[in-house]
Amino acid sequence: MFILDFFRTKQSASIAKDRLTIAIMSDRKNSTNYPFMDEMKSEIIDVVKKYIGVRGIEIKKEFDGDFEALSIDVMLEK
Amino acid sequence: MGIIIAVISGKGGVGKTTATANLGLGIGLNDQKCVVVDFDIGQRNLDMILGLENRVVYDMVQVMDGEASLKQALIKSKVSKNLFFLAASQSKDKSVLVSSKVEKLVLQLKKDFDFVILDSPAGIESGFEHTIEFADAAIVVVNPEVSSIRDADRAIGILDSKSNKVKQGEDVAKYLIINRIVADMVESGEMLKSEDILDILDIKLLGKIPEDRGVIDASNQGKPVILDKKSIAGQAYTRISGRLCGKQIDMKDIEISDSGLFKKIAGMFR
Repeated sequence: MFILDFFRTKQSASIAKDRLTIAIMSDRKNSTNYPFMDEMKSEIIDVVKKYIGVRGIEIKKEFDGDFEALSIDVMLEK
Repeated sequence: MGIIIAVISGKGGVGKTTATANLGLGIGLNDQKCVVVDFDIGQRNLDMILGLENRVVYDMVQVMDGEASLKQALIKSKVSKNLFFLAASQSKDKSVLVSSKVEKLVLQLKKDFDFVILDSPAGIESGFEHTIEFADAAIVVVNPEVSSIRDADRAIGILDSKSNKVKQGEDVAKYLIINRIVADMVESGEMLKSEDILDILDIKLLGKIPEDRGVIDASNQGKPVILDKKSIAGQAYTRISGRLCGKQIDMKDIEISDSGLFKKIAGMFR
């Protein structure tokens, strides 16, 4: 029993490491933190605004097989 | 011309404000001119940790709005003549921060001080973004614990994309402080080792701070723990402040408990 306990506690830090590595990898992959993001957003808003009222914009990264895509949602004014 | 350092963490409650206060004081005790600024608008706390809460008359928002001069708002530390403190506004909320005003304030401070240390609010919202916006370097504070490390990585990601320096094509220097390390838990494999944390976050180590009950005792009294020469956390802050001031100080291995150290020494003679 003592030996079992010893091995179980020994593992929790390495479990933490594995879980963190995977979670952070996926966080980084899905992150849209580019230095140009704010500027790009405001430029897109400016372009769309020429034609129709804009309330806001949201940009997400999406993955489809080998493709990476930025999906841009422009929310329009009512 | 000094350096602007943002102290960030992502997650709250990991010891950002304690680190800011102690490093500020440590730098002051190393005879460098330092100012610590509380950017946690609406949740002012650095004043309590420094024991200066009764001296706050004007805050940094009033300085930014031109309602008070820097000279009026800067509060001198009771312990070090080299340390000054600028309080956060308690009545307003973080939406009062505007880039142009933040820039003017921190650049003025950078002219007058060797170190300008900005205590960031927790989270990764606008208050955080304004804290890192004009920083030359960042100190990331984490606890050896999964949520703190993950949140720190998010904060670093934003630092690496939204700070002015990055937008100009430069790097922002980043250093890690691992706070609240419990040596015997690391030894028994129940707590992440510092090498693992550095690996995961891909960042340079500035220092390790052991868990120490003296930290709460110190904050109760408003006397930063670095002043307590017997405190192991205080000693760690002394080493880290020395490093920031350019001294060569070896990393002390605080991840070995006294009994672990004894076993190691005993092992040598066996």
